[in-house]
Amino acid sequence: MRFLAGIAKLICAVNLIIGKTFAWLALAIVIICFTVVVQRYLFAISYVWMQDLYIWLNGAMFTAVAGFALLRDDHVRVDIFYRPASMARRALIDLIGVFLFLLPFCWVVYQYSIPFVIRAWSYQEGSANVGGMPGLYVLKTFIIGFVTLIALQGLAMAIRSVLVLSNNAHLVPKSIQYSPDRIAADHPQGAV
Amino acid sequence: MDPVVIGELLAALMFFGVIGFLLLGFPVAFTLAGVSLLFGSVGMAFGVFDPSNFGSLPNRYIGFMTNEVLVAVPLFIFMGVMLERSQIAEQLLLTMSKLFGNMRGGLGISVVLVGAMLAASTGVVGATVVTMGLISLPAMLRAGYDPKLATGVICASGTLGQIIPPSTVLIFMGDMLSGINSQVQMAKGNFAPTPVSVGDLFAGALFPGILLVSLYLGFVLFKAVTDPASCPATPVPADEKADLLREIAVALVPPLLLILAVLGSILGGIATPTEAASVGAVGAMVLAALRWRLSFTILKQTMIATATITSMVFVILLGASVFSVVFRMMGGDNLVHEFLSNLPGGPMAAVAVVMVIMFFLGFILDTFEIIFIVIPITAPVLLALDVDPIWLGVMVGVNLQTSFLTPPFGFALFYLRGVAPADLPTSAIYKGILPFVLLQIIAIAILFVFPQLVTWLPRLIAG
Repeated sequence: MRFLAGIAKLICAVNLIIGKTFAWLALAIVIICFTVVVQRYLFAISYVWMQDLYIWLNGAMFTAVAGFALLRDDHVRVDIFYRPASMARRALIDLIGVFLFLLPFCWVVYQYSIPFVIRAWSYQEGSANVGGMPGLYVLKTFIIGFVTLIALQGLAMAIRSVLVLSNNAHLVPKSIQYSPDRIAADHPQGAV
Repeated sequence: MDPVVIGELLAALMFFGVIGFLLLGFPVAFTLAGVSLLFGSVGMAFGVFDPSNFGSLPNRYIGFMTNEVLVAVPLFIFMGVMLERSQIAEQLLLTMSKLFGNMRGGLGISVVLVGAMLAASTGVVGATVVTMGLISLPAMLRAGYDPKLATGVICASGTLGQIIPPSTVLIFMGDMLSGINSQVQMAKGNFAPTPVSVGDLFAGALFPGILLVSLYLGFVLFKAVTDPASCPATPVPADEKADLLREIAVALVPPLLLILAVLGSILGGIATPTEAASVGAVGAMVLAALRWRLSFTILKQTMIATATITSMVFVILLGASVFSVVFRMMGGDNLVHEFLSNLPGGPMAAVAVVMVIMFFLGFILDTFEIIFIVIPITAPVLLALDVDPIWLGVMVGVNLQTSFLTPPFGFALFYLRGVAPADLPTSAIYKGILPFVLLQIIAIAILFVFPQLVTWLPRLIAG
């Protein structure tokens, strides 16, 4: 059990670092897009690669932080029954969900994306726009990164469920512990 | 059995299966995808679904990742979160309640107006309800307001961000509808269709937003006249009044200017929503800096909130894409097409049916799930029946704002419950929201009968 808890802890550490790093892209998107606007409207110049860049950064950001968002339980749930449920019940639902829904999804996306990504690498695919960014193949690789990080965090969730259900809840890494009494207002940023 | 029938049956079952499984409470994005995969494999067993269709998923995903229109989403979220962290809402509420405090219902009116202003500066809903619940609810209860009126007005006003531009929901809807519309027009032989843009939807949503604000204000005034005890005045001491003008200049004017600049440049056709959003995001940072609230911590919190909210919404879109692929390939599209285009009563009946379905889905599901599931399967049929895409998008927006308000699963109700005093009964929140849900339905009915209210402004702008 301690071994499992260690794996979960490692996964969480990975997603924490990646999430906090790639969250900086939010600021980068704002600054680059603003620069493009200033250049266009004040100086009547524009660079196609810069227009590509901030758009792509959004794609990179939302795929890269998805695992981190899962760690923080930011992915919205229909929690009418989940929220008031006991910790063991929530653990059971998460365990079922990971194996029935999350991992199959990751596997299917992985299976069908691999050839797609390899093809993009094979000819170093760049932007479809003339004068645009090089390296579209890197962005495409983020799809693989996305499913990998989500699947890993799903694994950490499954481990958490196993620990809770085997009365080892105290071993669950701190960053993903179930709160004993959850209310929606704990994370009001859930809805947009 | 005929394979076509089996496929359509499975597609229909999948729709209800998704809703059933979502109630388990596992994150929506993965439940949507996972349940669709389950039904897809059953379809494979019956030979009505070919898994090679999943080959289109990576293309769709990279499409979302390089979508110029959808970049407006993180930008507007950044702007909204930054404004929230700079505590602009708090100051607005305090100033407004002083401005209107002397009249009956004044606190309620200030909540509606601040709700509308915050809605016009951000598309983020939860934070607004929480802020108003923390500041205005205690003030109203202290002043002797009927708790039902106080909670109702906060929930309804706090969700105006759904419909008043810039709204994240309208950005996604604009992107989806423009793609669907050009496909439908192509299929009809119209090879140069008038494009639908997010800017058009924003323009179309402006008057319906104002309509909703007027309805809320009207209701508060109605209560003030017919039931004065429910919303007493809160006289402002003379020494605080002296400072009011200066306070208005500091609290009200700068955010108002930012809103006018951002919305004005979109509606005036000067800038795209994405461009205007980046100006708004930088403007929000400037406003925060002017208040000495732009610290490294706040910047970091804003980035993390922006990144995770954006990811949450986009990942639902990724999950919903799996649903769309399976549903379409099993013949669900045909099923929906046959059902909607053969209704007695023509296109309007079809729109009405879709609206009613969405309304009831809103009792359990949240806006994004609903639009990502329902729009791709119904909009192609509705647009082929010559329903105006802008009107449709705005109607859906108003309709789904209601989903935040309808018990048992209305986000706004939960947020407010979380910050409301413990001795305030939950039943008061549920009862308080009812008149406002009714107002929403009235607004939908008005827009249904007078579609010009929506289409007028976009047409004027398009010339």
